[in-house]
Amino acid sequence: MSVTKEKNKNGSVVVVGGGIAGVQLSSDLADSGYYVYLVEKTPSIGGIMSQLDKTFPTNDCSMCILAPKLVGVGRNPNIELLTHSEVKEFAGKPGNFKVKVVKHARSVDPDKCTGCGLCTENCPIQYKIQPKEEALQIPEIEDREEIDKIINSYKDLDSPVVQILLDINEKYKYLPEPVLKYISYKMDIPFSEIYRMVTFYKAFSLEPKGKYHFKVCMGTACHVRGAEAVLESIKHGIKDTKKDLFSVETVNCLGVCASGPVIVVNETYYGNMNSKNTAELVKKLIDKENE
Amino acid sequence: MSELKLNSVIAGKKELEEICNKLISKNKNIKKTVSICCGTGCIANNSLEIVNKLQQLLKSRKIDNAEIKILKSGCPGYCEQGPLVKIMPDDILYTKVTPEDAEEIINETIINNKTVERLLFKENGDKTIQKENDIPFYKKQNRILLGLQSKIDYTSLEDYISINGYQAAAKAFSMKPDNIIGEIVDSGLRGRGGAGFPTGRKWEQVKKQDNTPKYIVCNADEGDPGAFMDRAVLEGNPHLIIEGLIIGGYAMGAEKGYVYVRDEYPLAVKNLKKATDAARKVGLLGKNILGSGFNFDIVLYRGAGAFVCGESSALIKSIMGMAGEPKQKIPRNSVKGLWNKPTNINNVETWANVPNIINYGSSWFAEYGNKSSKGTKIFALVGKINNTGLVEVPMGITLREVINDIGGGIPEGKKFKAVQTGGPSGGCLPDEKLDLPIDFDSLDEAGAIMGSGGMIVMDENTCMVDVAKYFTDFNLNESCGKCTSCREGLSRLSEILERIIGGKGKEDDLLLMEELSEYIISTSLCGLGQTAPNPVLSTLRYFKDEYEAHIKEKRCPAKVCKSLISFRINPDKCIGCGKCAKSCPTNAISGEKKHTHVIDPYKCVKCGRCLLECPGKIQAVEKVDTFAEAK
Repeated sequence: MSVTKEKNKNGSVVVVGGGIAGVQLSSDLADSGYYVYLVEKTPSIGGIMSQLDKTFPTNDCSMCILAPKLVGVGRNPNIELLTHSEVKEFAGKPGNFKVKVVKHARSVDPDKCTGCGLCTENCPIQYKIQPKEEALQIPEIEDREEIDKIINSYKDLDSPVVQILLDINEKYKYLPEPVLKYISYKMDIPFSEIYRMVTFYKAFSLEPKGKYHFKVCMGTACHVRGAEAVLESIKHGIKDTKKDLFSVETVNCLGVCASGPVIVVNETYYGNMNSKNTAELVKKLIDKENE
Repeated sequence: MSELKLNSVIAGKKELEEICNKLISKNKNIKKTVSICCGTGCIANNSLEIVNKLQQLLKSRKIDNAEIKILKSGCPGYCEQGPLVKIMPDDILYTKVTPEDAEEIINETIINNKTVERLLFKENGDKTIQKENDIPFYKKQNRILLGLQSKIDYTSLEDYISINGYQAAAKAFSMKPDNIIGEIVDSGLRGRGGAGFPTGRKWEQVKKQDNTPKYIVCNADEGDPGAFMDRAVLEGNPHLIIEGLIIGGYAMGAEKGYVYVRDEYPLAVKNLKKATDAARKVGLLGKNILGSGFNFDIVLYRGAGAFVCGESSALIKSIMGMAGEPKQKIPRNSVKGLWNKPTNINNVETWANVPNIINYGSSWFAEYGNKSSKGTKIFALVGKINNTGLVEVPMGITLREVINDIGGGIPEGKKFKAVQTGGPSGGCLPDEKLDLPIDFDSLDEAGAIMGSGGMIVMDENTCMVDVAKYFTDFNLNESCGKCTSCREGLSRLSEILERIIGGKGKEDDLLLMEELSEYIISTSLCGLGQTAPNPVLSTLRYFKDEYEAHIKEKRCPAKVCKSLISFRINPDKCIGCGKCAKSCPTNAISGEKKHTHVIDPYKCVKCGRCLLECPGKIQAVEKVDTFAEAK
């Protein structure tokens, strides 16, 4: 940054964009003696980095790097935050710009807000954040009628999403993305919200299951009787098979503790398993397929 | 055969009693009742096939259906000996029945009134016992809830009414709601889900709220691994739960009830659905139940495999169609629960006890149990125990009685090491604590909790560090991730345990774990986080020597932890049969026929198959401590 000696130059800088780059730049500039206006379109600074979990390549915690910088910017008396604002036009020449910034209505007093989030939870139109145009495209799926039927069968329920997803998971043995998009459209729930459910609850799978789906019970009773060895035996046995033939899943307790360790292949229960008879079972299934 | 179908709405108490009497007199014509356990456990052992076979045989022999009744019953508890077939009124219990035995049962017992000795329960391998209640497993039990299971076909409304079903609801309608709650308070019934909060007081709080509508919820999200008593009741007697909910709804002024049931229990979902449909048909659910003017209906809501949804506030969020993340306790659910309305949540077993309390009175219920905990409780007795199954015992019985007398001790003459109660939130208790009475407060004091009723027995071949790691990983997987202390704290706890199991533990790790556990307990929002370190703390308290052996001597006393053991073939015993080499998945075993075989430690993945393959008489493959060996 070259420092010129012209007298009419302003000692302030506008930084547009409050992501990690803008935040770092602002604090560097402020530390070197400039007054900084940091303009950010969204209601808060931090940008994409605040949404990340880890950073490449060191796997450092993203928030741990970012948070002190955000606090530093917020506290720095030489930085003025203009959040929820946009640059409309600017004129002038280097050293003496005039910038027009539109500050959007926030409708909340930022000095008093503690960020508890209760207002968003209680807002009656919480699902309208997603742009309407995007949601209007009807995703193309094959069995639309059947899916409509599933959706309609729960119309008496106040909050049927999970129940509908369970039925669809049962139908396809996993949740295909187009179907999820269709439900999102049909029920007017943002896709992200559905995605959140799908990844929160363990019963749902986003990947297709194999022809033989193994459920290995990992309940305590099965664990103390050696379920770990059974799981390893299955994994070892299906290592070199085709991907769509076998899939393995662990479940917490099937409640068949008397004959543990238990595995379920598709719908059939097998009790009192150990690494020996499990390996034999897997081998039998592989042989059956090769015939 | 006089047809008695329940199709029309039952108008009131009187009609209900009439139907009940008619059903009883009709049942007098039945000469023999064959009840086959069709709970998930016995179905896994082919019990449905037995039912089919019996029915076919009856048909082909042209035996009158009205005289012989075959019913699919819920789980009567003795899963170890399943599939169970009970024949009344002779009171014969056949154990470990196979479909092939069906013919003999029909020929001998049904037609000729003879007992098939071969299928009876054998004590100590020789003495046969015919009657159910003479079997040691059942002798000390008080089966108020489970005893009903084998009397009824699990989805039949007629059968349930014939054992005085729904009469408690009818009686409740003639009482004032406050008196019903008073009865529940006096009975001393405490929540069976784990925490043991007095049920009556919970009901009072919901009752006194002015905000309407109110909701009641039956928490059937039985997530604790190794516990399946709720499943047994849901599958085997769904009408009992429905009746409990009707009474609760009437007492608290709620017109809608939810049953939140785990999707991992498909049979329970199916039976509940059938039961609610049947009850709705005859007006036991819906508008103006039994002419009382009270409206009530039940919605079935399936969970989707999240353990944390058993926590009440998470469960409520899940029913409202959100991800099941808990919230802070205040305001309580009784003030602001489902859709911010007063909501009462009770466990399956709690609801199941309600009809009995109303029928027989609070003082009858309070006769069972001890000072602080009343009634009976069903436990799932599993793990390294001879008699796996469900046991219903009065509160206050000692752990030793349950494990030794009812459970029949440890198999293969092994030594008892610990009993784990309360699932992933509970703790492990050693031998010297076995004389503790089983009630909410004593177990709490000893560092375990009653929990929902899982009781997992461990023998000398179980490594307690491994168990602690198992539960920590379980809680870590099931943590919803909302509170940092639970999400990250449990990860660190698991890391430390992994280190200890891997033989890389440091001496101050134990102190560190204690400190970390305290933080997790004091800073987590919900019950999951607040109790998640319990397995670690209780094993540290009672089995510190095992942790020390792992850390100081790099040795796993139970020979479970893979990094600390290796497999070896004893050259003095090996006969060179080659079975182990053939089965080894990594070809780590080499040796010529009839010569001693050797395991290559670099190739061995320690799967333990060679140990299983080695003939029982030889037992040449043994587990040894890797590091003791190196010395």
